[in-house]
Amino acid sequence: MKKIILSLLTMSALFATEHVVDQKNKTFLPGTMKVKVGDTITFKNSDPFSHNAYTDDEDNEFDVGMQATGTETHMKVKKEGEFHIECAIHPNMLIKVKAEK
Amino acid sequence: MIKILLLLSFVLFSQTLFANEDMKKWLRPALIPAPDNNKLTPQRVQLGKLLFFDKRLSQDNSISCATCHHPKRGWTDLIPVQKAVGFGGQTGPRNSPTILNTAYQNRQFWDGRVKTLEAQALGPIEADVEMNMPLDDLIPKLNAIKGYVKLFEGAYPDENLTKETLAKAIASFERTVVSGDAPFDIYIKGDTNAISQDAKDGFELFKTKAFCMECHDGFNFTDGSFHNVGLNEGELKGKELGRYNVKNRAAWYGVMKTPTLRDVTKSYPYFHDGSVKTLEESTELCAKGGRHTTNVKNKSTSMKDRKLTKKEIDKIVVFMKTLTSPDMKLEIPTKFPQ
Repeated sequence: MKKIILSLLTMSALFATEHVVDQKNKTFLPGTMKVKVGDTITFKNSDPFSHNAYTDDEDNEFDVGMQATGTETHMKVKKEGEFHIECAIHPNMLIKVKAEK
Repeated sequence: MIKILLLLSFVLFSQTLFANEDMKKWLRPALIPAPDNNKLTPQRVQLGKLLFFDKRLSQDNSISCATCHHPKRGWTDLIPVQKAVGFGGQTGPRNSPTILNTAYQNRQFWDGRVKTLEAQALGPIEADVEMNMPLDDLIPKLNAIKGYVKLFEGAYPDENLTKETLAKAIASFERTVVSGDAPFDIYIKGDTNAISQDAKDGFELFKTKAFCMECHDGFNFTDGSFHNVGLNEGELKGKELGRYNVKNRAAWYGVMKTPTLRDVTKSYPYFHDGSVKTLEESTELCAKGGRHTTNVKNKSTSMKDRKLTKKEIDKIVVFMKTLTSPDMKLEIPTKFPQ
């Protein structure tokens, strides 16, 4: 039984995808995403000043804090649903995320 | 024929100007945005204007929206925070922000606590240090004024005079408070003589060495971003926490919204605490990276010492003065619905 669970976990990790979002010219690129539960979203900051990424979605709540130029941060998609990710510094920056099982 | 040649040369010049860099972003939009459920109509704007200037919206009939946001005072009150007077002589903690061009902003108030002008409009009416008027009292008070009931029927048929339509009407008027054609706009549209060489140099510095554009970006000279510009040192205990009051998000500690620079010569004093009197001083403060350059918690990474000379700062100020447009044509109401 343990082996089966371990295999399933390994398989799900194998199928999890990393989605890269760039923060450039005060824009999230891409601005819309389709992801699956278990996937990781990586945020890069290519602007010469700090950014942030957060969502207030109850099921996927996260906040990367102040993200300096040239750094990467990550969030893991925990639950299905539709939610927005914003930059706390630049509120015009927005990603619409659709997360599926 | 001469006219055609002039037109062609203007078009070619404009194209050259825009081809050199992304200049289009500095052009004022032709249309004012409005939400689908509150499109701008003359009736709504006129009604909103009356409400905006009507002191009966405050508890003791002494304060209107215009008391702190007056068209002859840069749509603010030009009063330092410590001297601004709200209900019963109270003073609020923040400098009255201009309402100019708020139609183009997607966060309202210094701390951005609401998104729309409709959501903003009722806040100061209810605030005890401002107009101190509970909406549960105000709506019956306005419904007892036949003239207002009639105007609401015309502006919002089938919606009645409610908190919602009150907010919509005030927001409609506020939305029309937009800056006009400033010398900078005439320059950006192709007239190279509309601003001086110092102003052109200042604009170039603004975009490059001084990095002002990092926050004061786009035609409205704000990107709507939130920053702690280093007005206060260390922990802000007992001081202004800014957007952190909306939610305790680390990135919001001590931050406030970047204000527009449109008509900035008319909306002194500067910053959320109104602590800086002149445009020269505020430009110098930003150029050196804040009032306090160290020991500022969550200070914006955009606030750095840009090593500008006095002459360079002066040129940026000369440029910012070209953002001043003629006063909006507006008949201030003296008679109100009865």
